[in-house]
Amino acid sequence: MSSGASTRDPRCGDECTVVLTDVTRRFDDVTALEGISMGVREGTILGLIGPSGSGKTTTIRTLTGSLAPTSGTVRVLGEDPMHFRASTRERIGYMPQQFVLYRDLTVDENVDFVAALFGMLYRRRRRRVREVLEMVELWDVRGRRASRLSGGMQRRLSLACALVHEPSLFLLDEPTAGLDPLLRQSVWRELGRLRDRGRTLLVTTQYVGEAELCDQVALIAQGHLVALGTPDDLRRQALGGDLLWIETDRPIDARSMPDVQGVESIRQHGPSELMVVARDAGETSPRIVDAFSSQGITVTASREERPSFDEIFARLVEQHARREAAASEQDAEGRGHDVAA
Amino acid sequence: MMSLLKSLTRIGSFAAKELLEVVRRPGAFMSLVIGPFLIMAIFGMGYSGYRRPLDTVLVLPPQTGISRDPATYQRLAGPAIHVVAVTADANAALAELRAQQIDLVVIAPPDLRQRLRAGQQSDIEVEYNETDPVRAGNASVLATQLSDKVNQQIIQDVVLKGEQSPVGQAAGTSIPPNVVAQPTVGKPVNIAPTTPTLALYFAPAVLALILQHMGVTLTALSVVRERLHGTMELFRVSPASPVEILLGKYIGFGILSGVISLVTLGLMVLVLHVPDLGQAGLLAAIVALLVFASLGLGLLISVVADSESQAVQLSLLVLLASVFFGGLVLPLTEFQPIVGNAAYALPVTSAIDLLQNWMLRGTLLRPWELGVLVGLGAVLFVLTALQLRRIVLKG
Repeated sequence: MSSGASTRDPRCGDECTVVLTDVTRRFDDVTALEGISMGVREGTILGLIGPSGSGKTTTIRTLTGSLAPTSGTVRVLGEDPMHFRASTRERIGYMPQQFVLYRDLTVDENVDFVAALFGMLYRRRRRRVREVLEMVELWDVRGRRASRLSGGMQRRLSLACALVHEPSLFLLDEPTAGLDPLLRQSVWRELGRLRDRGRTLLVTTQYVGEAELCDQVALIAQGHLVALGTPDDLRRQALGGDLLWIETDRPIDARSMPDVQGVESIRQHGPSELMVVARDAGETSPRIVDAFSSQGITVTASREERPSFDEIFARLVEQHARREAAASEQDAEGRGHDVAA
Repeated sequence: MMSLLKSLTRIGSFAAKELLEVVRRPGAFMSLVIGPFLIMAIFGMGYSGYRRPLDTVLVLPPQTGISRDPATYQRLAGPAIHVVAVTADANAALAELRAQQIDLVVIAPPDLRQRLRAGQQSDIEVEYNETDPVRAGNASVLATQLSDKVNQQIIQDVVLKGEQSPVGQAAGTSIPPNVVAQPTVGKPVNIAPTTPTLALYFAPAVLALILQHMGVTLTALSVVRERLHGTMELFRVSPASPVEILLGKYIGFGILSGVISLVTLGLMVLVLHVPDLGQAGLLAAIVALLVFASLGLGLLISVVADSESQAVQLSLLVLLASVFFGGLVLPLTEFQPIVGNAAYALPVTSAIDLLQNWMLRGTLLRPWELGVLVGLGAVLFVLTALQLRRIVLKG
């Protein structure tokens, strides 16, 4: 399903449903977002990942038109969110971080209300309310007041409300927060299904591990875009390449390993174990086996190591902090030279 | 000792928290302190306590042969009555009374002189048009007093003019002592279509106050709650416009208010037997306009209040102001004109007068008050829509 109103942007390599260009948002003297630029390709899931207070919700609220950027431009479905047309709003499904629905209404009354809010007529509404409630496994409690739902059920109800009018773009602010692992999996399965049907999803999460489930991941920390790319890209960016664990039939010294094309670095991991950073694990692995073999050493086991995204995230944030520090040092030096001159 | 200290700490934590919460919500704090003070100040400055004298027309047929000078009767009547005119046309005077342009019509019989000569007392008819039992009682008392004054004047006339006065001319005849002492008897007549009891007289006014208060309190929390709970963010993303949101609220609360109004009115008329002389159509229109304006007032409170507690406080202030200035307890004529006119900013002010007249008289004495309700409702709608638009667009 095509959104039909995308913005052509090189960042997506294709049509972008969402484009942020150098977006900064300040609240008095606090900078919540600083120079964020990114695009979300149509029919993909972009995960906005970062710790609490990193600027994820501010980004989402900038995309919904609830907040105007202090500087920079935002285009969503080809329009400035501050001036969305009603027909464009109908194509956006939004799930806020907090539970904002009516506690005195029942589950199905809440979904029905939101569906009507987005202009759905009675017949279609009736069908869709049932569909989405079955999808989020709340159909059996449809007559229960929202105030009597557990936190997890309230999240699912919010999700149902975001889905009910079949939008083409979803802006979901922490849809899995407070859900148990099984339910989180089920929510992500549903998000995947929506993506497969051509929908574009921008999902924030504090669960760094959920980055694996996204097509693109934007890592945000302290209002800065630390990294943007596919999960594999980010992993390579954090580690310098793919990580290979090699075990040999006899003790080996990492320093004595022959040069192999595609190997970036080697680290001793045990007497007969090495950790190799390679540009591409698939291509480099056979070359390493051959190189050891030519020296009479047999590789008894090898596998690609996939460190957790928590670790990847920590490394990327660290690298970003170092780059920032280096840049400010350079700036300071530059200013010093200017003064001296 | 330690447990006492811990207990004091816990108590102190609550005391500090309550104080901080109040201070952090300056709007609520201001309306809590300033609101009642403002109402009392306006009341203090605006209430004159001046009770307007009853505008009175004297109908004296020419053949009575008594003075036609209004000043003479004004001296007799005293400050509670204002003699507007002395006329011979009883029908014209009664028409003015029915239109409530004057308060009293005093009609002397044309054969006053002959009856005296014949040794008979004459009835002086004193007509008034009051549904308010308190004012009706007051008019009746004044009518009796007026009759006494007339008698005094006639007796004084005898003493001064002797034989030439009507009573003096009749002295030779056998006039009964009671006629000599009281040549005329005041007969007060209330021409109002109903003379309800005090409780029933106030029923339409109380209904107006109840409907306004219900409308205001129903809606006052509506938007402020959605704002504080974050639901407004959902509206902001949705294609619903502020006017659509507002119209939906008007219709929802309007239906609810309509049902409550119908039930309350039904109980009042069928169970309490409050007179209902006007046609149902216009009664429904008055109630609908009152509800429309009251919902607007409540929704305006809801979009300007910074917290639920401030919305509740403002609703109560509206109720307090309505009791003081709405004409329920004190007539608007007893306020300084500026305050009396400003009281029309409250929907209840027009509604009380309209409902009392329509239900108890079957007529509207001030039909322009319908226009006031329409205008007030429209202004409140526009103000609320503008503020809601600001909230939805700017957060």
